[in-house]
Amino acid sequence: MPLGGVLFLTIFIALFGTLLIFLARAMGGDQTRNQTGVKFDPYECGIPGQEKKDTKVSVKFYLTAILFILFDIEIIFMYPWAITFRDFIEAGAGTAVGLSMLIFLLIFIFGLFWEIKSKALEWD
Amino acid sequence: MGQDIFEITINGIKLIVIFLLMVQAVPILVWVERRGSAFIQNRLGPNRVGPLGLMQLLADAVKFLNKEDFLPRKAVRALFYTAPVYALIPGVIAYCAIPLGTPLQIEAFEMAGKMWGPYTFAMQGFDIGVGIVFILGISSLAAYTILMAGWGSGNKFSLMGALRASAQIISYELALGLSIVGVIMLYGTFNLTDMVLAQQGPMSFSFMGNQVVIPWLPNWGLFYQPLGFILFFAATFAESNRLPFDLAEGEAELVAGFHTEYGGFKMLMFFIGEYAHMMIAAGLVTTFFFGGYLVPGFTPAEIREFVAQNLASTPNGISAITSVIHLLAYFVKFALFLWFFIHVRWTLPRFRYDQLMDLGWKTMLPWALFNTILTAVVIYVAYNFA
Amino acid sequence: MTADAFIFWFLSLVAVTSGLSVVMMANPIYSALSLAMTMVSLAALFATLGAYFIAGVQVIVYAGAVMVLFVIVLMLFDLREETKAFTRGQVSGALKIAMIGFLAGLIVMVMAQGVKFLAAPDVVDAAKLPEDSSKALGLVLFNRHIFGFEALGVLLLVVAVGTVALARSKGGTHAKH
Repeated sequence: MPLGGVLFLTIFIALFGTLLIFLARAMGGDQTRNQTGVKFDPYECGIPGQEKKDTKVSVKFYLTAILFILFDIEIIFMYPWAITFRDFIEAGAGTAVGLSMLIFLLIFIFGLFWEIKSKALEWD
Repeated sequence: MGQDIFEITINGIKLIVIFLLMVQAVPILVWVERRGSAFIQNRLGPNRVGPLGLMQLLADAVKFLNKEDFLPRKAVRALFYTAPVYALIPGVIAYCAIPLGTPLQIEAFEMAGKMWGPYTFAMQGFDIGVGIVFILGISSLAAYTILMAGWGSGNKFSLMGALRASAQIISYELALGLSIVGVIMLYGTFNLTDMVLAQQGPMSFSFMGNQVVIPWLPNWGLFYQPLGFILFFAATFAESNRLPFDLAEGEAELVAGFHTEYGGFKMLMFFIGEYAHMMIAAGLVTTFFFGGYLVPGFTPAEIREFVAQNLASTPNGISAITSVIHLLAYFVKFALFLWFFIHVRWTLPRFRYDQLMDLGWKTMLPWALFNTILTAVVIYVAYNFA
Repeated sequence: MTADAFIFWFLSLVAVTSGLSVVMMANPIYSALSLAMTMVSLAALFATLGAYFIAGVQVIVYAGAVMVLFVIVLMLFDLREETKAFTRGQVSGALKIAMIGFLAGLIVMVMAQGVKFLAAPDVVDAAKLPEDSSKALGLVLFNRHIFGFEALGVLLLVVAVGTVALARSKGGTHAKH
């Protein structure tokens, strides 16, 4: 079962990375406890920091993210179709399955063009 | 991982070797990138430390190790330290699912008073049945690294860089996922090894009942899916955050993006993660469109035959030499694509953010849809009108 | 204990722990990350059952979905206020106790039901599972469930339209005048 290998490698890399961080800390010195001085301020191109860190971000990112999920689910549903399309053709059901996928794709295309037309994907 | 202790040990060592090779490849790629960019820009690049500047890597590593461990005051400790370690994981695990050569077959042998074997070791980290889906899923987890680092740094530049990067990665993941649908339809499988084996021999296919053979072309996916290849390759540039799509690190606007606050070895780990994604991209392009580990013009069976007649006599030796030949063929193709990544980086300028999103959503996604429909229609016609 | 059993218990432990931390963490960022962890370990559990395609889909879809949660957290919440509101205060305290009671009731109910099922365990023989079930999945999906498949397309379209309408609406309590 390949899952054991995946788990093994995940744990190995995590341990390896942690070890590297500790090694670098041991070699280079620890500056994480006594954080005094301007050096530890967030990097602001030399200007003193003003705002709090929980800045609000543009709603565009949310829109992009949720549209991504919707289209991603539709694309994922094409995978079982893509893998079985030839089997269906050979079994004589190619026309029916192809047409039903075409309807699905048309809904997809309609959605995409609606998004483009409604300017939901415009960045300014 | 295997049936008995021997197989499990070998498989474990194999995984660790692939991981260490990937980590080791990064300094070499950085050297190639620095020298290559220097020659492209009519400079010399690093040439002082050791022959051709090759020792530069070692000097860099020592320098990285001697950087102090630094935590900004507003950073979130747990996320700030988890993010670079986590950056290594998805890239390496996804790469391990790509086949690198023909499987190595070892006959039954006697060791420590017991019979072992016979064994078959695949030349890849783990042979997963649904290879493509696995790689897509695992590499989509890489966006979390960026968000963790960006939010955990407690810095606005980092946060904006992380949001931009993740929005870009997910936008291009759509075009990437959709451009593969044509490939899956072409091979009728998710398994990467089956895909590679489907590409052996000269180009031959049946179209409307006629068997067409073109002896001077290899049977590579590139010739069946040219549009899919262009879309996939372009999308992988965005996925691995390379120029011209490296908006996440647009220096003029965001200092360095999500890793603004990182330095030393933690920074290097992000670097390794990024290069790992470049390697996955090069490996997948090789596998899907350029015959994977196949030597053009020869099928694995022919090479095996040649090795058996000229180079080795024992079954183990034949299998090993065949594997090595295919491994070399794979790495030649792989290295060419890595070089292509580097060359593009030093040739093209960076996009503007709205151009980037427009290209992903309004150009590549519709073209990928068109490619899918076209492939389906061609397959349908090829099978049905005999 | 066989290797398979070990992997199962390990993954279950990860899934339950991260699932609990989704609701226990005060900071919504950690909740979102724990949710992603839960989804990944659930996907691995699917893989132990031989459903590799479902496992991959689980990761691809839910990893993206949790990403959206992450962005919502960054976009909408004032984390310091949020943490304060959900750690102190009588109303949230009462709500917490009510929720714990509800959860305990649910657990008792599920246990009472579950014991009945456990009496005759329906053991899945790992050796009999097909090596690659994705083709079978495609065949079933496009034979028997074709209507559900098309309906899903329409449903996703409706969600997309709704999202855009929400994101573009100008009114509400936070409207700029």
